[in-house]
Amino acid sequence: MPVSQSLEEHLKLDGISISFGPVNVIPSLDLSVRKGEMVAFLGPSGCGKTTTLRMIAGLISPSSGRITVGGRDITRLPIHDRDMGMVFQSYALFPHMDVTRNVQFGLQMRNVSKQDIERRSKEALELVQLGHLAQRKPKELSGGQQQRVALARALVIQPSILLLDEPLSNLDAKLRDEMRLQIRALQQQSGITAVFVTHDQVEALSMCDRVVVMRNGRIEQFGTPTEIYERPATAFVANFVGRTNRLKGKVGSDGQLVAAGQPLRATTKLSPGPVDVLIRPHRIALQPSSGPATTGDGNVVEGKVSSIIFIGDLVQYVVRAGDEEIVVEEATRRERAPLGVGDNVHLRWSADDTLVYPDDGK
Amino acid sequence: MEIHKTSWPMRILVFVLFLYLLAPVLLVFPISFSGDQVLRFPPTFWSTRWYVALFENSKMLSAFSTSLLLASIVTILSIVIAVPAAWVMTRVKFRGRDLLFNLFTAPLLLPTIVLGLAILIVFASFGLLATMRGLVFAHLVVTLPYALRILAVALNTQDQTCEEAARTLGAKPLTVFFRVTVPMLIPGIVAAAALCFLVSFDEVVITLFLTGPRISTLPVELYNYVYNQADPLVAAASVLLILLTLGVIMIVERTMGLSKTFVK
Repeated sequence: MPVSQSLEEHLKLDGISISFGPVNVIPSLDLSVRKGEMVAFLGPSGCGKTTTLRMIAGLISPSSGRITVGGRDITRLPIHDRDMGMVFQSYALFPHMDVTRNVQFGLQMRNVSKQDIERRSKEALELVQLGHLAQRKPKELSGGQQQRVALARALVIQPSILLLDEPLSNLDAKLRDEMRLQIRALQQQSGITAVFVTHDQVEALSMCDRVVVMRNGRIEQFGTPTEIYERPATAFVANFVGRTNRLKGKVGSDGQLVAAGQPLRATTKLSPGPVDVLIRPHRIALQPSSGPATTGDGNVVEGKVSSIIFIGDLVQYVVRAGDEEIVVEEATRRERAPLGVGDNVHLRWSADDTLVYPDDGK
Repeated sequence: MEIHKTSWPMRILVFVLFLYLLAPVLLVFPISFSGDQVLRFPPTFWSTRWYVALFENSKMLSAFSTSLLLASIVTILSIVIAVPAAWVMTRVKFRGRDLLFNLFTAPLLLPTIVLGLAILIVFASFGLLATMRGLVFAHLVVTLPYALRILAVALNTQDQTCEEAARTLGAKPLTVFFRVTVPMLIPGIVAAAALCFLVSFDEVVITLFLTGPRISTLPVELYNYVYNQADPLVAAASVLLILLTLGVIMIVERTMGLSKTFVK
């Protein structure tokens, strides 16, 4: 339930570029983030997502381009005047100050009255449920608690934008799930615009309103989590977000797609040439080839089970079809006799789930 | 720290090495309680007469207070100068930074006798010989490289994201320096201060060139004393110096923890 999300543009990057020495890390980047929205920068390490975040924070200056917040140009504004709340991967709590002093630091820099400092820091600590640890030093806190102090410290100044740099990567899996929900809840309560850098697709998809998928300093796709997952704009996005099978294919001059030695149907517009065909493992249904061979508007490929991996709630089948190996994921189910290695099967998926991209040679 | 099981031959080797290093220091203790007129081991009878003699020796006492004052001034100045200098060396990128840093720390590598001569020649023309000011300047030449090096290492290993965090929270550069960088640097500052104090308090070679009848430091005075007569008074003085050194180390240990301060 997005509370205060609107279509009003808040943060805008306009042709931002940066080079480190001879390396052009970000050639030119345009992006527009709406007020109250949480946007993820998702990509592999070295894709420029943290660099972009640091440029927004002012920790590094872009070589060219403009950054505006609410229409105001902040490109050349010094960091301390930018009004950004930033949560660092290492939390960066001040080790020589206790929790309260850490949270109060930003307020003291802003000439807030003494009573207001006391009240607001207390409220911020209550918000992250750490009121009882106010007197502790950072090193006396667990990773998750430090994370929450960092969050309180960034939020208490009511910044115009909250920047989060891989805030969950130092936490263990269970705590990460908890913090994910908590950060999202805090962001929505306060209606703050947030940018969240991560290399973890689950974080990006589950927490954020929109996701920017980056590679080599460029934006591959910018869209809602559903769009990114269901309609990946490029083969890279499809590969990076969620698991996928990748088949080498070809589109003939007649427009017919062929992969795994068979003609396939897809809903994408196709132009002749070599292509990558991508299919999500869980969108493929498996049937013993002895069963009824139903035909529809989908694709049916014959294959032979070559290995089975049991992962608990999922079973992964690796199926050999032609000269390709296709991974199929099925929820563990009981109504069908289990398949065994060496069984002949039919792989079945709809034309909609057949993602076709021109072969980018990678 | 991890505790390793050490084999017996290794333990014996370490023990012998330590004995070799510490034997002269340990010998000083019994000799200082000798009742003899000359330095001799073992003493023929025990007494505290040399401690009494030491505290009745006005030359030694005034040299001691000179040394104490000198080392304190030198330590404070070293820190006040080296902290901002080390900050510039580690946080500001400019051309020739490495060259400058090496130049600043070069006196560490020069033979002190060369430094002493050079300082003598230069200071003579400025009338700085046998003055407190002259001694302070000369000692700074020796202590600053130590301070600079220790503080630069400490600043380099310090988590710089804390400074970045302070900046995003609205702190101006000077505020970041005084409220985040310096407080986080305290262990490094204590280490540098302790070392500067001990180096200055201990300095003989350069100081020899600059002292005279008007002003002298304790190590130089001890040196002169031994030159003229070899009685156990110097042993008594040595014991007190060892205790002072231990005292400085203990203060560092109590406030910071030795390993945290000196081992990076």
